[in-house]
Amino acid sequence: MEEVDKILIHALKQVGTEVSEETDSVKQFSSELIVEAVVRCIRVIEPGLGSPLPTSLPPGMSARFRVGMSLAQACQDIGYKGEIGYQTFLYSNEPEIRSLLMFLVEKLPRESAEASDQPTGKSVVLQRAIAAAIKAQLVVPWLPPNCRLPLHGETQSPGSLHSFHAQPLSLPHCTKGPGKNQLKEVQDYQRDILPPVTAQPSHHASVVASILEQHTAELSAAQEWDNEWNSQGLLSRLTPQEYCSRKLTRLRKRIEEQLRSAALPSAESAFGGPRSTSDLSDLLQAFRGSTPSDHILTKGTHFTHTQKFTFTQQQQAAAVTRPSITAGPQSESDIQLCQQEEQLSLQQQFQQLCSDVEQLAADMKHMSVTNAQVLDELKQRDLGNSENEEKMQVKKKTIDLLPDADNNLLKLQVLVEASAKRVVNLASQWEKHRAPLIDEHRRLKEICSNQDLESSRKLSEIKSLHDKIRVSTEEAKKKEEIYKQLVTELENLPQDASRSAYTQRILEIVSNIKKQKEEITKILSDTKELQKEINSLTGKLDRTFAVTDELVFKDAKKDESVRKSYKYLAALHENCNQLIQTIEDTGTILREIRDLEEQIETENGSKTVANLERILEDYKAIRQENSALAAKVREG
Amino acid sequence: MELSESVQRGLQALADPSAFDQSSYRALVDASFRSLRSSQADPGVLDQPELKQIDQILLKQSHTAATTFILEAVKQNADKSTMSSCLEELSFSADKVELFNSTHQKHRKELERLLASIGRCPPQINDASWRLQYHVKNGQVDKVNEPFYLLSLNTENKGSSEDINFTCTVEQLQDLVGKLKDAAKSVEKASQM
Repeated sequence: MEEVDKILIHALKQVGTEVSEETDSVKQFSSELIVEAVVRCIRVIEPGLGSPLPTSLPPGMSARFRVGMSLAQACQDIGYKGEIGYQTFLYSNEPEIRSLLMFLVEKLPRESAEASDQPTGKSVVLQRAIAAAIKAQLVVPWLPPNCRLPLHGETQSPGSLHSFHAQPLSLPHCTKGPGKNQLKEVQDYQRDILPPVTAQPSHHASVVASILEQHTAELSAAQEWDNEWNSQGLLSRLTPQEYCSRKLTRLRKRIEEQLRSAALPSAESAFGGPRSTSDLSDLLQAFRGSTPSDHILTKGTHFTHTQKFTFTQQQQAAAVTRPSITAGPQSESDIQLCQQEEQLSLQQQFQQLCSDVEQLAADMKHMSVTNAQVLDELKQRDLGNSENEEKMQVKKKTIDLLPDADNNLLKLQVLVEASAKRVVNLASQWEKHRAPLIDEHRRLKEICSNQDLESSRKLSEIKSLHDKIRVSTEEAKKKEEIYKQLVTELENLPQDASRSAYTQRILEIVSNIKKQKEEITKILSDTKELQKEINSLTGKLDRTFAVTDELVFKDAKKDESVRKSYKYLAALHENCNQLIQTIEDTGTILREIRDLEEQIETENGSKTVANLERILEDYKAIRQENSALAAKVREG
Repeated sequence: MELSESVQRGLQALADPSAFDQSSYRALVDASFRSLRSSQADPGVLDQPELKQIDQILLKQSHTAATTFILEAVKQNADKSTMSSCLEELSFSADKVELFNSTHQKHRKELERLLASIGRCPPQINDASWRLQYHVKNGQVDKVNEPFYLLSLNTENKGSSEDINFTCTVEQLQDLVGKLKDAAKSVEKASQM
């Protein structure tokens, strides 16, 4: 019974009953505790039924009676079949209470246990932690600002908050890449002058933000590079450095094109943004580095130069004119008039100059175009010239050879033959050289294609390996997280419910039952054997008796003494039968006695007489209370 | 806990017994925590006799890595075992890990507060006073006869207190009270997950 009691007490504790540590069996339960336990169980099983019930017993007898009755009613409503009344709670006896509690505990809902079996996600754990934190903060009472201790400071006074403001940090290892030679000056700076990171931000509050930001940026950059390298970089069959530099040049080219396309229209619109064009062209210049700037660019810069030049001239002119005006002794209005005039004239001049500039620019453009055309023409003419000269020289030579025609013809023929021979010779030689070379070429080509195949195979292998690595790292991470979650869950679980102990006990009980069963079967077989023996013995007895009876009966007719013996035999048989009957009767009576004794014991255990007495007393008490109340009413 | 390459390199240097012996290691860990906790930027935090003989570039690198590691650990609320395994992966010896953990535990609360202080917070209500007034009539209407409440909320933000004054009718006040009750209930519900 002890195990059952322990399980019961554990379940009751989970429901919320305050069972003290010392009570370890149902026998020690007081009626208060029983009422509380039952009420809490009912509340969990059926909240509607349990909520009006009080968890403690009131002092008055009639109130107690009422509570007991309502509890008994509630238990019956839930479905308890056993005998139950108010006395069950007030004057408890162990077996009744145990059976009642077992019934209630079995009825307790199991959802909570099932829910905890499922593995909870990370977000659930986080939400639980948040809920716990909020709960803890809610428990802390609010205090006016003057009474706050520093330990309340975290939750109740906001303290000094500052926004997340990150500043770039200069780290000594940023520039320390492998294979890059660092300048000695940079090293000196880093060694002697660069302050530690925590002293770098101008405002100390942004130290934390800056460091975290820096780290996150580095991490995400590394991740991005990893992704790109795995998806595109590997396929390009370049080393990382080469890939990087190629990408850089590509990007530069694109930016340059974009900038140029954006800079072109504004350079040609006369007054839109001379400033921005010069900026952009500077930028372009910077991008292109040492490469010479192209045609359009020189024009743009040239144009802006002239513009700048005119502007400065104007300013100088204004500066020259201004002191002469202020020096004059005229009145203010005169001065203003003068200035206005001056302004007008200057504006006119300025517009004039602007239009001049425009015109000049257009002229210049035209000129440059015509210039290019003329240059082209010149080149073509030059080419034609040199061709003509060559032709003339060939003709001159033929004219020189004409006088001694035959001789020269012969000579020429010999020469032609010799050269033909030489050509044949050379061709054969070339053939000789060519064959091995072609073979070599083919061989190399084959090797090359083989290597290509090999490399692509290896590449795909590498890719699949990369994929595998990624997948397995992800898996490992996931598993680790699950493991961590499970560990935290295990830590959070209540420690008293030792599962293994329970299972062990259950196993023990099962083995005990098995043993008992074996014993029972043994006893049963023994009884059967005995029955068999008895049966065979009675059969034997009957047979022998019949045989003896017959024999003796036969002789009895002849002999007087034998007749006597026959009488004795019959009497013996009868007596023996009676004896056996008596023994059997004794056995049944003994069994009955045992049954009755057991019944008496159970009746004694339930203390019916005492209970009845108590009930009688209760009845008296209630009557007394009632009469007292009636007297009060009468008095009142 | 994920760490960038530079931080890993810095911590590996810190773990290397030939670069940092026990006393200089202790000094650097202390300096890292101190530099994060102190309210003033201290450029001379690494000027200590134990750290004199170490290459200054390496020292600054390790200091940066250590501060980053500390902040990341606090940010992710990493427990002792996570930090230990992380440091052991970077080939820290057992006593160095132990020293780091104990120092971290000592400063943990303060660092948490430091991280929590990044952000914004609406002003908190400390006190409220009210007055019920009766509007009898005004220039346009001869008979108004409406009660209205004058409320004054004393709020506190960043240590300075400020009063928020407003008037409202009974319905508006009821609405406000209902909203406040709703808010309180939601918070309670959130705590019972």
